[in-house]
Amino acid sequence: MSREEMKRGGRALLAVVGLLSLGACTPAPPPPEAMARTTLMTAPADLQLLCANAVTSSAGAGVKVLPTGSRLQPDGTFAVDLDAGGKKYSCIVDNNGSVRSVAPV
Amino acid sequence: MRVRSSSLAKCNRTFSWVSRRLRKGLPVAAAALLLAPVIVLAQTQIYDAKTRTWVDYDSKKARQYYARNKQSPEAFRRQIVTFRTAEPPGTIIIDGNQHFLYFVQPGGQAIRYGIGVGRDGFGWAGIVRVGRTAEWPVWTPPAEMVARDANAAKWAAGMPGGPENPLGARALYLYAGDQDTIYRIHGTAEPWTIGLDVSSGCIRLNNDDVTDLHSRVQIGAKVIVLMQGAALYKGI
Repeated sequence: MSREEMKRGGRALLAVVGLLSLGACTPAPPPPEAMARTTLMTAPADLQLLCANAVTSSAGAGVKVLPTGSRLQPDGTFAVDLDAGGKKYSCIVDNNGSVRSVAPV
Repeated sequence: MRVRSSSLAKCNRTFSWVSRRLRKGLPVAAAALLLAPVIVLAQTQIYDAKTRTWVDYDSKKARQYYARNKQSPEAFRRQIVTFRTAEPPGTIIIDGNQHFLYFVQPGGQAIRYGIGVGRDGFGWAGIVRVGRTAEWPVWTPPAEMVARDANAAKWAAGMPGGPENPLGARALYLYAGDQDTIYRIHGTAEPWTIGLDVSSGCIRLNNDDVTDLHSRVQIGAKVIVLMQGAALYKGI
């Protein structure tokens, strides 16, 4: 194989590797049911309610617990703010539905 | 033209005064900018499969999409989803920020409907219940709406039910205890507004979806309304 042919082959290989890398970097589209979002990045409703349920255990039966705010954390978990009969709580929940922590504020 | 030395001196003194103030004030201004709370304005976005990007979903985009497709974007159409909750089946959960209403089903699932919610300043949150329901309801605008909106004022005595009625095909009236909150979950004569912040606080679904929900819901069903940045709270 001549030097010229080796150079052409090398350039072609680089082009293929480059294209493959670009494809790998393009994130996969979300499923159709997830093709809407808010820029607020609030926690999904069911995760907020899992936090509310966890606070109910601490706050006691009969106390109405309402999530009042939430935000995505850098580690991918969600921080949820809650009101339990006027008392404020903070909760951390992950995407698997595991409540990591609940604490009065 | 020669400048008088006294004028020059005055200019120099003024310049020095301004410079000193700027030097003192600039760090304070910079610190204020850094420490000031960042005001994040909520914006709904939908995923454009053609461009593979998230695009803002506003009134104009919503009208264009609905005109082309005769329905809302797929995420806002009625569908069964996974929903992990301790709330019993038959509970309604409203996620005002994400524009979804969930009707809890057995087995960790829910029926999810797309909704339109209150515009800026009209959002609310709380724990209420379905007090009563109606089919093709009469719309009677509340006194505060009559006072601010001429279109509402002409129907102060009540607008008969029908396709042009803002409440649409069905209405679920939300109560806190025995008191009407004045908020409803209802249909709409403007189906392209699903996914947007448009109303005076009521939750709107398209007429097919609200008819479906109405057929399933029980009087007394618990309704949990989640809305970050709510202007007021009901039932808590």
